[in-house]
Amino acid sequence: MSVAEVNRWSGPGARGARSRFTWNHFLWSLVWPARGHRILPTISGTVLISLAMGIGTAAYNSSSNILFITLSLLLSCLILSGVLSWLNLRGVAWRLQLAGPLRAGHDASVALDLRNGKSFLPTYGLWFELEARPVGAEVPQRAESTITAKGIDVKAAWAKADAAAQRGTVMLRSRLECGGDARLEWGFKPERRGRLRVELAGVGSLFPFGFLKKEVGTDLRAETVVWPAPVEYRRQAVLSARRLAGGERVARAGAGGDLRSLRRYTEGDSHRLIHWKASARTGTLLVRQYAAESAEGFALWLRTEASVWPRPEQFELLVSFGATLAEDLFRAGQLTTVAIDSEPPVPVRRRRDLEDFLDRLAVVEPRKAASAGAGSDSTHPFVTTTEIARQNLMTFAPDGARGVAAYVNGNQAASA
Amino acid sequence: MSTETKPPPLSLDELAQLKWLLGGVLTLLGVWTVSYMDVEAWELVILTTLVAGACVWWPTLPARVPALMHTLAFPLIVAFFVGDLWLTGSILPAMVRLDILLLLYRTASYRQRRDDLQIIVLGLFLIVVAGVLTVSLAFAAQILVYTGCALLFLLTITLVDAAHGNVKAGIFAPVPRTVPGWATHADWPRLFRRLHDVADARVVVLAVALFAGVVAISAVLFMAIPRFQLENSLFLERFVTKKAKSGFNDSIRIGDVTEIQQDTGIALSVDVSDRSQAPGAPYWRMLVLDDYTEGVFRLSPRLRMTAFGARERTGASALREPMPKLGAGVVWTFFLESGVSRYLPFPGRWERVQFRESQNFRLAPDLGLLALREEPVTMTAYRVEGVEISPVIPDPSFARRWKAANDSDRRHGGLQSTLNVNVSDTERLRALADEITGGAAVAAGDFIERAGAWLRERHSYALSPVIPRGTGDPLVRWMTSREAGHCELFAGSLVLLARAAGFPARVVTGFRGGTWNAYSNNFTVRHSDAHAWTEIFDPEIGAWRRTDALAAPEVQRAAEQTGEAALARRADSSWKARLDSLRVFWYRRIVSFDQQSQTETLRNLKAGAQRGGQQLREALARAAAAVRAWFGGPWDARRVAVVVGWIALNAGVVWLVQRGRIRFRHWRSAKSDDPVRADASRWLRRLGECPVPTAECAAVRGELQRLRFGARVTWPEPEGVFRRARRALREARRERRPA
Repeated sequence: MSVAEVNRWSGPGARGARSRFTWNHFLWSLVWPARGHRILPTISGTVLISLAMGIGTAAYNSSSNILFITLSLLLSCLILSGVLSWLNLRGVAWRLQLAGPLRAGHDASVALDLRNGKSFLPTYGLWFELEARPVGAEVPQRAESTITAKGIDVKAAWAKADAAAQRGTVMLRSRLECGGDARLEWGFKPERRGRLRVELAGVGSLFPFGFLKKEVGTDLRAETVVWPAPVEYRRQAVLSARRLAGGERVARAGAGGDLRSLRRYTEGDSHRLIHWKASARTGTLLVRQYAAESAEGFALWLRTEASVWPRPEQFELLVSFGATLAEDLFRAGQLTTVAIDSEPPVPVRRRRDLEDFLDRLAVVEPRKAASAGAGSDSTHPFVTTTEIARQNLMTFAPDGARGVAAYVNGNQAASA
Repeated sequence: MSTETKPPPLSLDELAQLKWLLGGVLTLLGVWTVSYMDVEAWELVILTTLVAGACVWWPTLPARVPALMHTLAFPLIVAFFVGDLWLTGSILPAMVRLDILLLLYRTASYRQRRDDLQIIVLGLFLIVVAGVLTVSLAFAAQILVYTGCALLFLLTITLVDAAHGNVKAGIFAPVPRTVPGWATHADWPRLFRRLHDVADARVVVLAVALFAGVVAISAVLFMAIPRFQLENSLFLERFVTKKAKSGFNDSIRIGDVTEIQQDTGIALSVDVSDRSQAPGAPYWRMLVLDDYTEGVFRLSPRLRMTAFGARERTGASALREPMPKLGAGVVWTFFLESGVSRYLPFPGRWERVQFRESQNFRLAPDLGLLALREEPVTMTAYRVEGVEISPVIPDPSFARRWKAANDSDRRHGGLQSTLNVNVSDTERLRALADEITGGAAVAAGDFIERAGAWLRERHSYALSPVIPRGTGDPLVRWMTSREAGHCELFAGSLVLLARAAGFPARVVTGFRGGTWNAYSNNFTVRHSDAHAWTEIFDPEIGAWRRTDALAAPEVQRAAEQTGEAALARRADSSWKARLDSLRVFWYRRIVSFDQQSQTETLRNLKAGAQRGGQQLREALARAAAAVRAWFGGPWDARRVAVVVGWIALNAGVVWLVQRGRIRFRHWRSAKSDDPVRADASRWLRRLGECPVPTAECAAVRGELQRLRFGARVTWPEPEGVFRRARRALREARRERRPA
């Protein structure tokens, strides 16, 4: 399972976020604010500032103390706005909760936990800007010189980075009571597999009077992997026949044959496999492991040579097809081992093993030609022909210009 | 365990209703400034008030406005403004009316955020214009209330936008002729009840404190903003014209001054820097009227030309001939309300007048008068230095002309001695003058006393006199009757009698007396103190003698007394005086605040801080010395008992405060949540963020969870658990710290 949970609280109310106040730090923060911290006047703020400037000019022009009073009131309202805005954010902490698994093309959601640590003041009107961006698609953080780079190139780079990212804003619509907490959710759809970085790009507020838009930068981000999108495929008779012709019909791998050993219970194991006596003796849930667990089903071998998969879209289809087959075979209790390229085969006994495989598929890339020899049959992880035959080795090969076909022991079993 | 009973926060509809209500209130606050602005817009104000009130109370009304009206509203308003400007030619009143019309339209239609902002800006414009034009204390109250309401309004707008989930704010627009959901079920009493229910006393107190902070910061900013004038001119004055309310014009008909007396409003407030120099009942001279015709006294064109001259001056100060010996060091500061007169009142001869801003004026040095070009539309402040308060006003120039003139010139040469009545009245006046003088030549001083006594003996005082019907001059008719009269009749009669007796004489108008405000220590002169008296020229001393025919000589002498005792007799300590003192404070400290005041304030602040610091240091040094001396003395059982008792007393106070705090929290949380559970929750949260989870942390967490969630009967002793939690947290932090 690919769940990245960021349990770290961030924000002004997070423990440890509040550093000791020093005038030096405060004054420097005015000159050089922290990354992402911005205060911008809104339309009403611009009106107020223009009004203050106009009244100030008229006050000096006429030396009217009535106008000076009005000017003072306007300026102090701006100060009050700043104080209330600071009070509103004070004591508020937030953290990201990423619920997995994420799958390309499927809806996903990010939860944002909020906490108001103030003793009696509620918090109002915050919004949170969230961003999901594939890792590797970020704009470089180092400074870019527009002297050496053409402006149009820089803009194109920004546009590319922006296009890859998904952004959203969630709003705290009701007030966050003092000492209370709330959860906001942002839904998005990851477009492609790979590593994904979800970031809380900023927290903003127009509170209290809408004069100033205050934005607070955060360093809260979480990474997760997006599994390949499932694809539709056609099964050939081979796959079904092999399945029906299996030694014993079992609902799940490890559920048939002779008892080989006991192991710890893991999530997804059938309750029927629990060895209650041993569990009671040891105080730990133990399940029975049968010989059939490693003897039945298919061994899935995914080869990623770039020379075999020169087209990126076909490679993507390969990965998605592999992931879909792996899941289907696992659900059918027919997936025994998996391997990518020359890696040693990994037995798939429980859901965690399958998820590990999907995690790896999420980030797999075409292998360069320099190591192409490692992918030959003589060096594949399933060492002997006998073993290959016994394990129903499933491999993949291009099927025309766009398609991908799966072969079991050289016979086409499915195509996508 | 008690359950949560806190009412739910205001819903989106309730917030929208509150926003609508506050918009209406701001509209009304804005348009009501016209009540003291003296702009002809009463019909619009009444209409706006009615419409705003109706729309606030029945928020579905704006949906009934035809769509065509919304289309035509702006062109119609612009056309009204252009027409108004074309017809009246006064831009500021036209702009005020335009502003009210825009407010009227905004309050009668459903608003977006930008429309709400328009209401704030339009209302602020009206208040600021009213404040600048009137310099009224009402402005201070109104701007404070308006600011408070406007801030609340803006806060509500922000909350409504947030509840809409609208980050960019204000992009949802109302649909014309469609009643929004919040308006269909508006129930104001219910909304007020909800506001009462959801209001947290602590938040309300904080809000009030913050608003007080805004006012305090404004005051500091007001004093701290550097003052320098780019141009000495009150720009808004140019755009309005104002008629004088009072009768203190160049021409006064008999009865005009009495009419002014009906008004009990304040005409001027006067600060005196040295109270010992202030007379108990000063005569505030404003205007000299030398020409008399058929019951009307006026300033003759000849005197106007000779005394005021043809040249108008412009500047912030007016200087007569230096009189350093007269009233040296005493500064009189006048705050003359608008609508009194363009002639400024003075308590006597003066040397120098300093205005707050540049003025256009004409100066009559021999008369001791100063006339502004136009009637001030706002309060006019000026300082007068070198004031001589005396019933005798030397006039060497007039004395020279009087001495050089022959008998004919004296009767007809504009020397303020012309009777200007018909022959029979002239004869009657001469007969009366002979009756007063006994047919002999008397000195001016004697004549004044005799004539005054003669008038007082024949006439009593009445505000509503009856002038007998008949032919001839009305003053002569009254004089020869036994009817009661007011100050103008007395003063005018004395002028005619003096002229008949051969003395130049004139009527002077202004104010007499006033009260001494015991709170703000200043003269408060009301319109009801308006007065007319006489000045008679005494050729022997070459000066004019002030004569009040209504007052006996001993009364006049008593009025001329100066000092605290004289002021004490006129002291006013009523509630009205208390309110008037606020107005004077406003004029002294706010309206008249200038660069000099700023410098003085800063200097006083610095001196005060230095003095305070010095006193504090001395007090601390004295206390330290006393403590050292006490501890250095021989110790005995009594002293030990005192120390122990002192420590015990302090410990007791600390214990009581702690208990009080706990009891207060129990009382405060009685309706919402159990304080022990709340404390346990707080400690659990702190321990959850414990940097190094120690064994003690784990142990105490179990007890805290029992306090937080467990049945009350299973609770361990809460205070002890909290103490252990505090200790555990401290230890965990200590362990985290590097050695």
